[in-house]
Amino acid sequence: MQNSYRELFLSESQEYLANISKCLVRLEKDPSDQSAINEIFRGMHTLKGMSATMGFEKLTQLAHQMEDLLDELRNRRKQLTSAIIDTLFAAVDVVEQLLDEIKENKSSTTDIIPIIETIQRHLSEKEVISLKENQTQPQTINIQEKQDFPFNSEEVSRLKTFLSQGNFLFHIFVHLNKDCVMKEARAFLIVTALKRLGEIIKAIPSIEDLKEGKFDLSFELFLVSKEEQRVIRQEMANISEIEGVRVTPVSLPKEMVSQQQEVSQKTSVGAQPSPVYVKKIQSMRIPVERLDKIMNLMGELAIAKIRLAQIVQTYKIEPLEEVVFLLDRLISTLQDEVMQTRLLPVAYILDAFPRVVRDLAHKQNKDIDFSIVGGDIELDRVVLDEISDPLLHLVRNAIDHGIEDPQTRKKAGKNPRGRIVITVSRQKGQIFIEISDDGKGIDFKAVRKKALEKGLITEEEAKELDEKKVFDLITLPGFSTSEKVTDISGRGVGLDVVKSKIESLGGRVDFETKPGQGSRFILTLPLTLAIIKAMLVNVHHEVYAIPLMNIRETIKVHKRELKYVQNFEVMKVREEVVPIIRLDRTLGIVGSSTMEDEEGRLSLVIVEYGKKALGLVVSSVIGEQDIAVKPLGSWVKRTKGVAGATILGDGRVALILDIMSLM
Amino acid sequence: MATAKKILIVDDAVFMRQMLAKILMAEGYEICGEASCASEAVEKYKKLRPDLVTMDIVMPMMEELDGIGAVKEIIRFDPSARIIICSVMGQQSLVIEAIRAGAKDFVTKPVQPVRLLEAVRNVLASEKT
Repeated sequence: MQNSYRELFLSESQEYLANISKCLVRLEKDPSDQSAINEIFRGMHTLKGMSATMGFEKLTQLAHQMEDLLDELRNRRKQLTSAIIDTLFAAVDVVEQLLDEIKENKSSTTDIIPIIETIQRHLSEKEVISLKENQTQPQTINIQEKQDFPFNSEEVSRLKTFLSQGNFLFHIFVHLNKDCVMKEARAFLIVTALKRLGEIIKAIPSIEDLKEGKFDLSFELFLVSKEEQRVIRQEMANISEIEGVRVTPVSLPKEMVSQQQEVSQKTSVGAQPSPVYVKKIQSMRIPVERLDKIMNLMGELAIAKIRLAQIVQTYKIEPLEEVVFLLDRLISTLQDEVMQTRLLPVAYILDAFPRVVRDLAHKQNKDIDFSIVGGDIELDRVVLDEISDPLLHLVRNAIDHGIEDPQTRKKAGKNPRGRIVITVSRQKGQIFIEISDDGKGIDFKAVRKKALEKGLITEEEAKELDEKKVFDLITLPGFSTSEKVTDISGRGVGLDVVKSKIESLGGRVDFETKPGQGSRFILTLPLTLAIIKAMLVNVHHEVYAIPLMNIRETIKVHKRELKYVQNFEVMKVREEVVPIIRLDRTLGIVGSSTMEDEEGRLSLVIVEYGKKALGLVVSSVIGEQDIAVKPLGSWVKRTKGVAGATILGDGRVALILDIMSLM
Repeated sequence: MATAKKILIVDDAVFMRQMLAKILMAEGYEICGEASCASEAVEKYKKLRPDLVTMDIVMPMMEELDGIGAVKEIIRFDPSARIIICSVMGQQSLVIEAIRAGAKDFVTKPVQPVRLLEAVRNVLASEKT
């Protein structure tokens, strides 16, 4: 199987799976949530189809079983129990495992038999109501919601005609016997029988599919008939091999049952658009590389525009001035739009979280109310990809170390049910993600004790430990106050990793804690990594860009102030010894002049990464600018000190310094 | 059962006819006749006016009339005729064709008595249309 398909399959499957998990959590909260069941069913169905196409047998088999179970639930032939929900959760996990195996391209070792057996046990539990005898039916189906509306415009107009002629609309759900042979013929027989009573407006699956047997054991029909519900039911009762049938009158939105004149007016004049309920394609799938390419071309277009503008100015070509002005506006609008395409709602990653919280809370017998605020806020997909793990870690931390068990909480006079909230907000090109819990907060005493033990602080310092200091301590690699390492947060990824990850994205982590009341982590992130603020500097004749987020300050110092420590140039900046790097030497740039000015002074850009600072010697500082980051070709990718490139307004290329690798 | 319902059995194999007859008679139905080909079926239907016909859909062609043709012919003669198709598995399109022509139900061969009787009961219970 081609790789390209596989990747598409994987990404799509994972999306479906994420949604399924989300719905499962919803379903667990509210077992009567029919739309959740439907969504899960549809997701599983699609997943089954996709994996069958790709030839992933285990996945297909499992998806098929899950679909069967969901179908039972969907059609209310089976009661949703917590045991079933647990099974579904477990099955989703296995699916995930199978997908991982496919992703890593290794042969499958996952044993799907146990889970399939569990599902089948649920399926065989006989609590199936024979619908034939079940006369207590739902009274009426109300189709009011647009999204539930099953008819397209053509069906609507047919429907209107029939209804105006005194017909009733019925929804007929048919479920055939499991051992029914030639189900296509059976379905056809049913359709034929119903046609004697009225007209079939719609069949799900379509009549064609039914005739070709393209359905499982059940299908739905919408019938208009002048007959009563009872008559239709009787007719269906006289057909063999039907396990169950449900005939339900359907009530439609008011405007549907209006008078015929109105109907014909509407349809003929078309002054008012007749309701079209077919879902329009609202979104489509575009490979990320294509978006990157578009983004790149956008940058180049912008540069071409600048050059054109320069030419127009230099040669004073007046007729072109207006065109250039227009072009300028169009291009910047276009650039904004293209930027938007890189953005994805944070929910994209957060959707998986409720499931995680649920599982962990279960495991630790904690009761946790988890909510997400602002999941629709959009972020660059690259940033999203990167923050997923750190966020998950923080949430795990909150569950593991933050929220107490119900008894402890009760004793402390708190709501036994803990709360974890992720709040996403956006302010001026920055995204704030806040993870707060109402747990026990960070135990200062424990941190102090541990820090003293490890010799990280002195007794003196220990006395005046404040929030910031504590945070600095707990984000040190290998620092953990937890007595036992659980499989939850003790996975080797510590807060230090979270912190450095966020910082590498040009972000920041802040922290607040109130003992006994909870903790709060605030992540500040740039909206995108594609366009960053940078300081442009000259190193001889070359231009380099230094990400502004790394810059602490720029200063001019006399070369006398540079000292040597074991052959390394250093400088003392406000009580801090800062190593000096001469960029021309490190980057191998040969210049005709020296880096210092007439008075022997050097331009220094003090950059920092994490806790460390570094002084970069440059020829001169040009200024601050927004730059579009372009990836480097693979042949220069490994170049030390360079993170990417950008094209400047005059068409020159400037390399972007990678501060981390200079450290 | 006040008066036993009359059934006409159409099948080209004597063995099948006997088996079907045995199953149906055991339930109290009256076998009013048997036919071994399509045209004979039509002829007997007109003469005997049975309450129900079981018909094998694949029979040797005689006088240009096949099973489907027989169904059509009988329905044309009596639109309310109740015909149950007996067919081997895998002949969906033929069965669908027969249903379109007016057959009321179908069973598959090898015939399972339970299924056959269920079909007969159901079809007899349905109102004559």
